[in-house]
Amino acid sequence: MQLTGKSMKLFVPSPGHINSLKELLTEKDKIYSIFMAGSPDYIGTGRSNLASPQLEDIAAQTEYAHKRGVKMEMVLNSSCMGGRQLTPEGFRINHWYIEQLANMGVDSIVVADPYLVETIARDFDDVMVVVSVLAFVDSPQKAEMFVDLGADSIVIDSNVNRHFDVLHAIRDSVDCELKLLVNEGCLYRCPFRYAHFNFFSHAFGPEPRPNVLDDYYYFKCLELRIDDPQQIIKSPWIRPEDLKLYRDITDVYKIGGRTHFVDWILNCVNAYYGESYDGNLMDLLDCPKELKDLFYIPNKSLDGVLAKQWMNCKKVCIKCGYCKAFTKKVTQVYSGGGTELAALTSLDTFTEKS
Amino acid sequence: MITSELLKNRAGFEEKLRKLIGRPILLIELDIFALPCGCTGITTNMRGLEVDDLEVFEPQMLALVKEMAVNLDVKPSVIFARIVPGSSIVASLNWRVLCSRCYPDFARGEGKTPRPDLYMLQFERRK
Repeated sequence: MQLTGKSMKLFVPSPGHINSLKELLTEKDKIYSIFMAGSPDYIGTGRSNLASPQLEDIAAQTEYAHKRGVKMEMVLNSSCMGGRQLTPEGFRINHWYIEQLANMGVDSIVVADPYLVETIARDFDDVMVVVSVLAFVDSPQKAEMFVDLGADSIVIDSNVNRHFDVLHAIRDSVDCELKLLVNEGCLYRCPFRYAHFNFFSHAFGPEPRPNVLDDYYYFKCLELRIDDPQQIIKSPWIRPEDLKLYRDITDVYKIGGRTHFVDWILNCVNAYYGESYDGNLMDLLDCPKELKDLFYIPNKSLDGVLAKQWMNCKKVCIKCGYCKAFTKKVTQVYSGGGTELAALTSLDTFTEKS
Repeated sequence: MITSELLKNRAGFEEKLRKLIGRPILLIELDIFALPCGCTGITTNMRGLEVDDLEVFEPQMLALVKEMAVNLDVKPSVIFARIVPGSSIVASLNWRVLCSRCYPDFARGEGKTPRPDLYMLQFERRK
């Protein structure tokens, strides 16, 4: 029998307030570390947040987690700080904030800016410096440079989650901890990635914050998938069942989803800890969450696909067509939600995109 | 009672639009609203609908829109789509019974896009 969850280190998102943490830690035996954002008044994050815990809240939550044997990681992974981090005042404020986090016993801090990697590694011995997925480490060369700056851990760019040659090359090149973000549903090689994370960094960072009515990138991201659902299949998520294929690269996995309900997060924790999920793949994907009410993709229908197809995929979609055909075969569409006519229909019902 | 009507209309409108357009567009939220100015109406927040769809299928879509207005007992004086500015994305379709304060805002504009984020499907001018 295969060992599941024994050596695995699961990093689990928290929406950011103590009540969420208490609920999450009802499953503490499956959780290695919680991660959450801090106050946007200091260093923002590259994703949206539901809470902005102040220092005393973070201290209380860190203590609560530690008492239950779970580590606390703070995410300060703004992908754009507008250069403020390089000004004397910006440096002083950021440094003071990180010092407070270190003093209260936070175990690790995730940053995207190489300057912050070097600063934290140099000045704070007791805190692990984690390179964010938003630093886009997708090659052994980039990984080596971050290690040289002082990184203790790197979350590998999820775009290469299915590029096993690259993953092995990174593993062979650095000795630091490597983490894989397993359930990000972002588009493979998303053209909006940098612009969207930069937007979030300002919207969920210090003042002034942009007053945006509509998040163009989010709308466009959804539109692309509705128009062409194979984009969901091509996204570089990793199924719980497929973690075993990554074990020679790492046993440290990060579950995305700090804007979700705790129940949703725990469903992911149980799926990844148990390395199995019998349900809709869309239930596990962090984003875009609205599409779980549109598409049903039986997770178990993907058994064996990674090993058989994607591990050796050349990513020349126009010459291959596997994902397109597979999407057509397994994807169903919800209709009539909340009425007696609620049903699942085949994707074939709709006009095929030329 | 009213919530089951909303569910039925959300699903029905979504289904008819999907059949018309040939894509599994998502009607993510159907709302009936009242504003402090006195305007009332219906909003459907859409995902996957594009300006091209409005241009190509406007007469058919307008018929569906009017059908739902009747179902929900709303008599709109203006029907418009809200566009994400500078893009082809339709964020929502809106049925609005305009109050006397808001009517001039819409009455002054002309053409299909009196404002960069609006695409007019119907406007009833007062006499």
